[in-house]
Amino acid sequence: MDRTISRYLFFRTLYEPKVTFEVLAESDPSAWKVFSGYSVWLLLLPPVFSWIGAYNFGWRLGAAEPLMLATSTLTLISIAYFLTLLFGFYSTAVISRWMAATYGASSSFGRHAALITIVGQPLAIASVAHLFPNVFFNVLVMIPTMLWSMYLLYSGIPIALETPPERGMLMASSLVGWLLVAAVSLLGLTMGLWTAGLGPALGV
Amino acid sequence: MTTQQQYYQDEVVKRLVQFSVAWAVVAMAAGVYVAAELLWPTIDFGQPWLSFGRLRPLHTNGIIFGFGVSALMATAFYSVQRTSHVPLFAPRLAWFVCYAWQLLVLLGGLSLLIGWNTTKEYAELEWPFDIAIAVLWVSFAIIFFGTIARRRIRPIYISNWFYGALIIVIAMLHIVNSLALPVSLTKSYSLYAGAQDAIVQWWYGHNAVGFLLTGGFLGMLYYFLPKHAGRPIWSYKLSVISFWAFTYSYIWAGPHHLHYNAIPEWVQSLGVVMSLILLAPSWATLINGVMTVSTAWEKLKTDPALKFIVLSLAFYGLATFEGPMMSIRSVNVVSHFTDWTIGHVHSGALGWNAMITYGTFYYLMPRLVGTELYSTRLANVHFWLALAGTMLYIISMWAAGVSQGLLWLSLDDTGELAFGFRDIMASMAPYYGLRLVAGLIFLGGTLLMAYNFYMTTRSRTTVRVEPPIVDPAYGVVT
Repeated sequence: MDRTISRYLFFRTLYEPKVTFEVLAESDPSAWKVFSGYSVWLLLLPPVFSWIGAYNFGWRLGAAEPLMLATSTLTLISIAYFLTLLFGFYSTAVISRWMAATYGASSSFGRHAALITIVGQPLAIASVAHLFPNVFFNVLVMIPTMLWSMYLLYSGIPIALETPPERGMLMASSLVGWLLVAAVSLLGLTMGLWTAGLGPALGV
Repeated sequence: MTTQQQYYQDEVVKRLVQFSVAWAVVAMAAGVYVAAELLWPTIDFGQPWLSFGRLRPLHTNGIIFGFGVSALMATAFYSVQRTSHVPLFAPRLAWFVCYAWQLLVLLGGLSLLIGWNTTKEYAELEWPFDIAIAVLWVSFAIIFFGTIARRRIRPIYISNWFYGALIIVIAMLHIVNSLALPVSLTKSYSLYAGAQDAIVQWWYGHNAVGFLLTGGFLGMLYYFLPKHAGRPIWSYKLSVISFWAFTYSYIWAGPHHLHYNAIPEWVQSLGVVMSLILLAPSWATLINGVMTVSTAWEKLKTDPALKFIVLSLAFYGLATFEGPMMSIRSVNVVSHFTDWTIGHVHSGALGWNAMITYGTFYYLMPRLVGTELYSTRLANVHFWLALAGTMLYIISMWAAGVSQGLLWLSLDDTGELAFGFRDIMASMAPYYGLRLVAGLIFLGGTLLMAYNFYMTTRSRTTVRVEPPIVDPAYGVVT
């Protein structure tokens, strides 16, 4: 990956996202280098935090007793979590590049991968909240983080992918549509796995 | 020979939009109040009419029949004239329907507050109101189909097919589901009993969602989106295919509301299969909408209304994906009877129905009175409030719903249910707080829109528009 980009990607996105998007617009990074040098490490954070939190404290869903899971189940769930995030990252980057043709945006896959990583970065970092596995606390942390990520998506597309702001707004909304569907699919998939016996013991 | 000058009947459209906005404010305020009651149950102050059980149907009926149907009537009247190139058929009947419908919603709402209730969800109004609804709905049909019958242009545009399906199917559903034996002015008993009653009720309930909240609003989308964008619909052929696929498959999906109940298992399975098939026509429309708007991006610079329509498509995609997914039994066993269902309904109602309606109204109101919108800035603020309110609502209900589903199916070491219903509900309070905030944000945006419309239309008269000359190639031979 271009050294300038990597310097910007890691920390500067958190406080100067627009500068990062401008730098990204002037480069054409390799998708593999973005992924291996940056994205995959961020994608590891949520499952690791969630494993540590759930192993030590158990998930608190509001009821008195925390939900403790067997170590093997917990590991299996964390691996599934990581694989799902991996799939989410890759599919979103692919869909973003696919949409680029419709919205007149750059078709550089590396740039799409970098943009999706920057957008997802706050969520990955905020997953530190999983260390305190209380569902409501996590919801409280994740909602403002998600709004920040949405802001990054809407403001980043026109700059980093070099398309007019209005077309960028349409593309961002289409991606939000995809991400909403992906989020709800994740919920549905989780319910299916629980019902199939992977996860908490349910009377079904 | 002189011919009398003809104008579109737009005054009645404007009045219906105004009523729709007024009902949106009232019914959403009722929704906010019941959301607050789930957090602070004592704010009913011991008054039966302020209790959750009476205010909740007021909220749903006010939104569906007051806000939703008034908006559908307004947009159907507006678009059917323009796609048929003739003024509305039977304009006096249109005025009658406009005012009588509002009176019906008002009196119906009051009847719910004093406790008249059939106990059928979304069909709570008692038999005198059911008869009035049937009469007014048939009148609506006469106006709509009468206008189409007198059209001067040969093709019947796709939006009219959706509005037509709305009118026909809702009449059928309402009349069949409301068949009852009255025992007094305020009480009746359904002609159906037990499992049959449940099947008929959810055949009605699901298709009220399907043909009113989806099909009717798709009619709105197919007329107003291309108008907004200044482009024809991306694929007309796809819109016709999706119409017939939608109409055929939706009507069978109702039993998915009755999983694990005393209805035959094959009926439940049929409901699941048809729900999954439904995804195809739903998303065909989504693709058509997205592709239509994608070519009209320049308009976003000046038109805040288009933003609402763009976003409504995203939530339409979410809701029409989430619904079939929740109909799968292994998902439904956890999600049913939880707040996830409430979140799903509101991703459709706030994200799709309200947003597409707001976008349409922002387009309509200035044009009806021949001026610019009073404040584009306020409309933009409204857009972000609507988005924030909807997202907060959905996320809080997702989290609450999944927690509930997990908690009340959890077993302890002895195989007994691990948690009591009351404890679980008490632990939901923080989510209900978030939902209340979400509702207030969304209601705040709606109030801004109402003010914007008041200032836009204040002391202005409705513009008189003549039907255009029809190209002979498309004209109806008379």
